[in-house]
Amino acid sequence: MISNLLKRLLSSGQRQAFFIGAGAFFTGVLLLAMVSIVMLIAARGGGYFWPKEVQRVEYISPQGQARVVFGQIESEYQQEDTRVYWLYYSDAASPFAHQSLIEESWMQSARPAKNAARIALKDGRVMLAEPVSVMLPDDAPVSILRLDAVRDKVATIEQRIAELRENVLSDIHLQLTELDSRQVSDAAPARARLNQAFDKWHAQVLALESQRDSYRMQVRLADGYETTLPLNTLYSIDYTSRLSFAEKLTVAVKRVGRFLSESPKQANTAGGVFPALFGTVLMVFLMTIIVAPFGVMAAVYLNEYAADTTLTSVIRICVSNMAGVPSIVYGVFGLGFFIYGVGGSLDALFFRDTLPAPTMGTPGVFWAALTMAILTLPVVIVATEEGLRNVPQDLKAGSYALGATKAETVWHTILPMASPGIMTGVILAIARAAGEVAPLMLVGAVKFAPNLPIDGEFPYLHLERQFMHLGVLIYDGAFHSQTDAKSASMMFAACLLLLVVVFILNILAVLLRSRLRRRYEKR
Amino acid sequence: MRQVAFNTHISGKFNTELENLRNSVMTMGGEVEQQLIDTLKAIRLNHSGLAEKVALNDLRINSMEIQIDQECMRIIAKRHPTASDLRLVMIISKAITDIERMGDEIERMARLVTKQKIPQSESVKSSMLSIGEKVVAMMRGTFDAFARQDDNAALEVYDQDNRIDSEYKLLLAYIVKEMENSSESMQDWLEILWALRSLERVGDRCKNICEYVVTLARGEDIRHTPLENLSQTLENLE
Amino acid sequence: MLTLFDHEYLDLDNLSDDLTAIRVENLSLQFGTKHVLENISMRVPKNRVTAFIGQSGCGKSTLISAFNRMNDLNPHCRYQGQIFIGQRDITHKKQNVSELRTQVGMVFQRPNPFPMSIYDNVCYGLKLQGIKVRRQLDDAVESALKDAALWKEVKDRLFDSAAILSGGQQQRLVIARALALKPDILLLDEPTSALDPLTTLYIEELIAELKSRCTIIIVTHNMQQAARVSDYTAFLHQGRLIEYSDSDTLFTTPQQKQTEDYITGRYG
Repeated sequence: MISNLLKRLLSSGQRQAFFIGAGAFFTGVLLLAMVSIVMLIAARGGGYFWPKEVQRVEYISPQGQARVVFGQIESEYQQEDTRVYWLYYSDAASPFAHQSLIEESWMQSARPAKNAARIALKDGRVMLAEPVSVMLPDDAPVSILRLDAVRDKVATIEQRIAELRENVLSDIHLQLTELDSRQVSDAAPARARLNQAFDKWHAQVLALESQRDSYRMQVRLADGYETTLPLNTLYSIDYTSRLSFAEKLTVAVKRVGRFLSESPKQANTAGGVFPALFGTVLMVFLMTIIVAPFGVMAAVYLNEYAADTTLTSVIRICVSNMAGVPSIVYGVFGLGFFIYGVGGSLDALFFRDTLPAPTMGTPGVFWAALTMAILTLPVVIVATEEGLRNVPQDLKAGSYALGATKAETVWHTILPMASPGIMTGVILAIARAAGEVAPLMLVGAVKFAPNLPIDGEFPYLHLERQFMHLGVLIYDGAFHSQTDAKSASMMFAACLLLLVVVFILNILAVLLRSRLRRRYEKR
Repeated sequence: MRQVAFNTHISGKFNTELENLRNSVMTMGGEVEQQLIDTLKAIRLNHSGLAEKVALNDLRINSMEIQIDQECMRIIAKRHPTASDLRLVMIISKAITDIERMGDEIERMARLVTKQKIPQSESVKSSMLSIGEKVVAMMRGTFDAFARQDDNAALEVYDQDNRIDSEYKLLLAYIVKEMENSSESMQDWLEILWALRSLERVGDRCKNICEYVVTLARGEDIRHTPLENLSQTLENLE
Repeated sequence: MLTLFDHEYLDLDNLSDDLTAIRVENLSLQFGTKHVLENISMRVPKNRVTAFIGQSGCGKSTLISAFNRMNDLNPHCRYQGQIFIGQRDITHKKQNVSELRTQVGMVFQRPNPFPMSIYDNVCYGLKLQGIKVRRQLDDAVESALKDAALWKEVKDRLFDSAAILSGGQQQRLVIARALALKPDILLLDEPTSALDPLTTLYIEELIAELKSRCTIIIVTHNMQQAARVSDYTAFLHQGRLIEYSDSDTLFTTPQQKQTEDYITGRYG
């Protein structure tokens, strides 16, 4: 009916123009949506790294108090008639920076504070303050200009402490443990000697520590409140208001580097995301190793060996349908079958002595990878089958005619020819697994994992360990952000990173695929 | 018209086949030439044994014609020759008919010896032999031109026929005079006339082959051009 | 009597065993319920080129595929009768199909080089046989490419992809690939139907040269081609062998009306 109406109203040329126009419009909308997603995440995520100027802000609180603080304006938006700012600031009531909403009407003045710096501590906390002087152990203040020299000195002490702990104290500990295991009595002279030595060195370490702690930096907040910070807890001091554009860029790059290489702090609201990044890549990598051979073998069997019966068709339909099953179902399956079922049985068989504490029967990176492999298996099978179908029949015949058996033909001819299709499947699988959150939370991804799944301890790769995942980190951070805009921007940064990771993995796979395609499909 | 070499096909076997075909024509031609020489010798020497051999040898020539004809058909069926190849095969197919006819005419002359009907008149005999020598030369020239596919040489040979024809006419006139005061029977004279006519026909056949050589080399048919001239003349008369 | 032309015509019905490459005895073949070949008996002479002609679907490709058991790839294929190569019945269940196919090479309609280097293409069959010695492979590749008249063109780029070769070169590469296994019999299934006429002539010339090395059986839709390359020709119609004789006779004076109609283009 509509087509009749269109036919009556419009000439054929007009109809054509109409459809082309409509098509272009929808494509444009799609493009706009994609660009805005990427732009938003890039802008908000990138903003997290860009150093903001520390300002001296004067405002009057709703209670009528006039207040002066050093602060950074994190973001601003329009709320009904007034502009509202998220101000990230330090004041006497809580010297470590926190944020609150400031309406424009309260604001008296805001100008860059050249002397104020953004002082980040090693534990992730931040103070926006003006460094005043450096305090030496004899409480004598010296000029802040000598800060770097004094910090070097503190670093030397730090190093000494670490050396003592590592070389001397841990040695004595080991010997003591050995005595314990041999059940040497407390009164034995060897033990007494060790205890003595331990006390001596321990006292020395404590002395060094107190010496270290007495190097401090005196800082002053905008409202005149002064406090001191131990120099060894300092992480970085950026006079962001003094920086030129190039210097800001350097700082931003440094922050990106730290973001990528450091562990999260302050419950995933500060610091870096290295463990999550590492966990994501490792999990995806493990999953690829598992899913690729399984998927390819299943597809080869279905396509080349299985007779063309109703059963094969039913299996094909089932495989395609499995791609549409909600991912949380796979999570529950992984938890119920792999972890409790398989893992529990493994514990009962091999790790009986540690029960009831589970070894394998607990969420871990291997189970997560296995679950994701099951989840992405249909994708790989479907794509591989597509690739296998595209292998020309005469090429197979050529191989058989040279005396190749079926297996030899599959291995030497069909699989290389189908490799671009296989790569397509693996790309899709990787993209899917890297972005998945819900099933991972059930089978091994956690907010915070104390150890990486790979370390220097035998057997180096700890498949049973829990791991951190970027998607889970973002999900977790998103809950924090309901009250804390600062960590929200870190979540945007993590989002950006996740995008970049998936993008890089895809680019690599696409490059590999086009290489294979050039090699095997140029006919 | 560009001269085309016949041994430049991609198919080596086709080259060999065409070469063999051409050679076989040359063999057949050589055979016929030898027949004519032998016949003339037999007439000159009145050697009936040699004449008998010539008559028998004609069977060989007939067999050659059949073989070459079959080979031409085989080549057309299997090789599908085109352009110059096709002309070559077609012309060979036609030329061998002429060559075979030459053989027949020569056989008829040889019969003159076996039947002991050689002209008694020395002058007739020597004129006849002289025409015979000219025909041999023409035949040799024809086969040379064919072998080299030389259309100019073929045209030169073509012209020789006119001299043979005029000599033939002269000899005929002479024979008519001779017949009046001769003791020989009319029967014998007729035999001689037939033999002479055969000799003249051999020259005409050579002319045909020369025409084929020109057609082969130039790709245009020069046969019966006088006919066109005739129609021209007829138009002019009206 | 003088013989001007030397043509060999073997008596195909009473061919002696040492001149026979393939002996087919009462071969019938079905795909499912469809009868493709019916009761075919023939002897293919050794070191000659034999052409199979006939309309599409007359069973000629199926017949040559029976000679190296390529029909086995179709699970619905069943046959009765025997095919002897040498003294062996290759239709026997115990026949090692892979081994058979190394002795009976096959080249297909479209050039189908594998997506590998020229060298690896030629080595494919040898490597499957477990030959790994580099020198041996090098020698085999060189002689196979020389046999296929391709060596001069590719000797400087043996390790380039086979895909860069032209259609005719690819087809010669495929022939070289089969020749590397030193087959006794080479089956060509419309080897030039995807090539241009001039390239076709080069392949035909190659076939003529190859027959001193192995028995060649060629299936072709192109009657002129069959006439050009073959010494003997078999005409098949609806799964039956209608006429089988030397090509000279078949193309000049066929004995059967069906053959005459087919080769003169009078088919209804």
